Amino acid sequence: MKEKYYDILVIGGGAAGMAAALAASEAGAKVLLAEHASLPGGVLNRCIHHGFGLGYFGEDLTGQQYAARFRDRLAHSPVDVMTDTSVLRLFPDRTAFLSRSGSLQKIAFRQCILATGSYERTMESIPVPGTRPAGIFTAGCAQGLINESHMDIGERILILGSGNVGQIMARQLVQAGKTIVAMIEQNDRPGGLPRNHRECLEAYSIPLMLHSTITRILGEERICGAVVRNLDTGQEQTFSCDTLITALGLIPDRSLADSLAVGGTWPDWLQLCGNCESIHDIVDSVTLAGERAGKAAIKGEI
Amino acid sequence: MEHTDIVIIGAGLLGCFLARALRQYDLSVTVLEKERDVCTGISKANTGIIYPGYDMAPGTLKARLTVSSCRNFPELCRALGVRYANRGSLMVGFGPEAEASIRNKWEKGQRNGVEGLELLSGEECRRREPLLAKGVRIGLFSPDTCVVNPWELGIAAYENARSNGAIFRLSSKVMAIHRIRNRRAGATAEMFPTEQYRAEATAEFYGTEQYRAETPAEHSGTEWPLKFIVETAETSFSCRCVINCAGLAAGDVHEMAAPPSVRIRPTGADYILLEDFPGMTPKMPPDVSTRIHSRMPLRHVIFHEPEQKRKGLTLVPTVDGNLMIGPTEREPFENPTATEAEGIRWLREKCREVVPDLPTEPILRTFGAVRPNPYEVLCENDRWIPSGRKLFDFNIKEEEGFFSLIGIKTPGLTCAAALGEYLTGHIVDFLGGASENPAYDPTRCPEIRVSEMTWEEREQWVQNHPDYGRILCSCRDISEGEVRDAIRRGAVTLDGVKRRTGIFMGRCQGSRCLSDVLLVMAEELGCSPDEIRKDTAGGIL
Ligand SMILES: Cc1cc2nc3c(=O)[nH]c(=O)nc-3n(C[C@H](O)[C@H](O)[C@H](O)COP(=O)(O)OP(=O)(O)OC[C@H]3O[C@@H](n4cnc5c(N)ncnc54)[C@H](O)[C@@H]3O)c2cc1C
Ligand SMILES: Cc1cc2nc3c(=O)[nH]c(=O)nc-3n(C[C@H](O)[C@H](O)[C@H](O)COP(=O)(O)OP(=O)(O)OC[C@H]3O[C@@H](n4cnc5c(N)ncnc54)[C@H](O)[C@@H]3O)c2cc1C
Repeated sequence: MKEKYYDILVIGGGAAGMAAALAASEAGAKVLLAEHASLPGGVLNRCIHHGFGLGYFGEDLTGQQYAARFRDRLAHSPVDVMTDTSVLRLFPDRTAFLSRSGSLQKIAFRQCILATGSYERTMESIPVPGTRPAGIFTAGCAQGLINESHMDIGERILILGSGNVGQIMARQLVQAGKTIVAMIEQNDRPGGLPRNHRECLEAYSIPLMLHSTITRILGEERICGAVVRNLDTGQEQTFSCDTLITALGLIPDRSLADSLAVGGTWPDWLQLCGNCESIHDIVDSVTLAGERAGKAAIKGEI
Repeated sequence: MEHTDIVIIGAGLLGCFLARALRQYDLSVTVLEKERDVCTGISKANTGIIYPGYDMAPGTLKARLTVSSCRNFPELCRALGVRYANRGSLMVGFGPEAEASIRNKWEKGQRNGVEGLELLSGEECRRREPLLAKGVRIGLFSPDTCVVNPWELGIAAYENARSNGAIFRLSSKVMAIHRIRNRRAGATAEMFPTEQYRAEATAEFYGTEQYRAETPAEHSGTEWPLKFIVETAETSFSCRCVINCAGLAAGDVHEMAAPPSVRIRPTGADYILLEDFPGMTPKMPPDVSTRIHSRMPLRHVIFHEPEQKRKGLTLVPTVDGNLMIGPTEREPFENPTATEAEGIRWLREKCREVVPDLPTEPILRTFGAVRPNPYEVLCENDRWIPSGRKLFDFNIKEEEGFFSLIGIKTPGLTCAAALGEYLTGHIVDFLGGASENPAYDPTRCPEIRVSEMTWEEREQWVQNHPDYGRILCSCRDISEGEVRDAIRRGAVTLDGVKRRTGIFMGRCQGSRCLSDVLLVMAEELGCSPDEIRKDTAGGIL
């Protein structure tokens, strides 16, 4: 297989990857940005709410607007952007396999920046007893179905966990006329940013149940309810619902790095940035981390 | 009314393999399945082990079929293009009772003709499987134990049966079975197919009006006596033989056409599936039968033989490279397929006992299964009560062309193909012989899985089949082409696509790719994404 060469391969075109690719390219490197989806932006593309860019642009943008600005910059930069392209595997000899419709390509590079973001902790991994009917979604999945695929997921919604994504989805669903039956959180305060707590939970009177957890999922084909236990008193209460959204937090996706790890460390030509390095609440800090990674890759190189 | 030689009720592993085996003969076979897809019952949730056969009472059909099935399993998988892994197994014991029981199994194994069994000391067990606890004092090693994804095997049998001409009617629940008896005592075979007889018999069940309306025209040309009418909500089938492979419902279906004999008491089972071990998933050598993942903490299937006949633990390194822990044994609580917290706790506790250093986190998912426990009933004072007799062997009931497989538990997966062959023999005998089907082809072309190709193969394939280059699932490296192929091969639900491709089975459990998969399915099925169901009849997204 013939391999193509780049100074820097950036894997993942979310906020982190776009910033890293631009920074490295501005410093003169030949950069390839590979993005799995058809539109760079990552999680930003499903965020139709405001609250992005206050730090970086000094403006209050939606996630989609924030992503569009970086896509615009990319379009005017010499960065090679390959969308609908997945990086399958990295090899110790600084090569990678990329797959896209109709072709499998081998790329050789000097430095690699991993910006593959995160995946959501699922209810399956906790795990909650009971059946596994239809109507259970992670918050990010629900957000994508509603905001990107324009689908309707249900009417009476129970939310397990109170991460940022869950809070933002609760607000959006209430705005769309849905009922949030309750938001169930095991800790003594909601997760996520205080800002989201104020603007999403308090402002929309989302019924928050602290010190509680779901102990059983009910329903045969479609979920019809869940048993919620108060962790202090042990009292159980059954809530009826037709949809369950889980907002249990994000986990960095380092699978490409993990397959390279020897004794727990990665090769020095590989850098992680953005949510795949550590979970960020604010996109502005992700962008800055991406820019730092892009510049550092150049230093390591030239 | 439609006509067919044979109706099979239920398209689980047993129904699918039976249909395949029957098509070796020139017999028309129709399989009726109540769900929208095949293998959604017991066949989708079980331990997935191909047993070598040292557990079964010597001299039983079960022992005989298990031993031969295990021996023939690699060949079956090659014919059907199904992935399997020959892991071998170690049954381990901690105390004197377990030791006695394991020695007894070794002896049974010898009598059953199981090859390659070895009794091992505790030390030898730990040498082969270093995570085993210090307390292990004896082990029984079998080299031939295999693992398979049971639904993949069942779906392959379904596809092969179909390509050999078996007809599958999905979403077709059998509601009633009528037996048409020849009421003329001493009737011989030649006297059977008279119009008069059919007219009387059919009229008995449908009333003369209906008979006149539809039967004569349809029946003309049939050369065999009408013996059964099997009804679904939409239509009915007349046939010469009915085979009941209805899994958990087999007891009820049996009683549609025969007096009660064996009934089923369902019990539940919980399983834990651990997350893929890092770096294990992509790029395995193409011969999956030999693939052992370097970072997999266990190489063998481990059976824990407990003291005092309690329930032991089973640990399975699956074909996909996950570790599966389970099953438990419990009474079903509300819904038998639900998992129970207590069961999950028990499994973790047992793991600490048997393999103390095995990390039981992170969990990929847990799932529940249902056992169809058979028990014999007899009639006392007009009531059917349990007879109390122990049932060791497979329960196969035959009443004049009506065959029932009731409560086929472990090793039903192991023996599915062999049971199909066995029953086919009996059915052909009952029918007084049948001519061979010259076009019968037992092989199936395996589906393409890009993650299991070498890079060179994959490059070639993707060039010629562009869809296989677009990856939908990054957790398990599964392409759009695989999803489209699964739908073309019969998947209509999300879970149908999942079982055929492995998508949604990685650690994101579908949360990253669901919307992409829905779009591809909607396009392929010609519907809107909202209309796509998760599984079974009524569920919605
Ligand atoms: C619901 C939600 C609400 C938020 N709200 C706010 C807010 O109001 N204000 C704010 O400032 N911040 C907010 N954030 C935080 C911030 O937007 C994110 O932390 C940030 O966008 C993460 O960027 P990232 O590039 O690290 O990851 P991602 O956006 O996840 O990008 C990773 C990209 O990598 C791609 N990828 C992964 N694997 C591969 C591979 N093998 N090959 C090719 N491509 C691959 C993925 O397709 C994806 O596009 C929010 C986040 C979420 C999820
Ligand atoms: C917990 C557990 C673990 C097991 N582990 C193993 C193992 O490791 N190794 C092994 O060899 N075996 C194992 N087995 C046994 C094996 O799984 C079964 O023997 C096998 O799957 C039985 O298949 P089946 O076709 O009878 O049942 P099913 O797959 O349940 O098929 C029955 C079908 O009939 C359909 N049906 C029911 N009623 C009607 C109706 N009225 N009309 C139309 N269709 C109907 C159902 O929808 C279903 O699809 C295990 C079983 C259990 C329960």
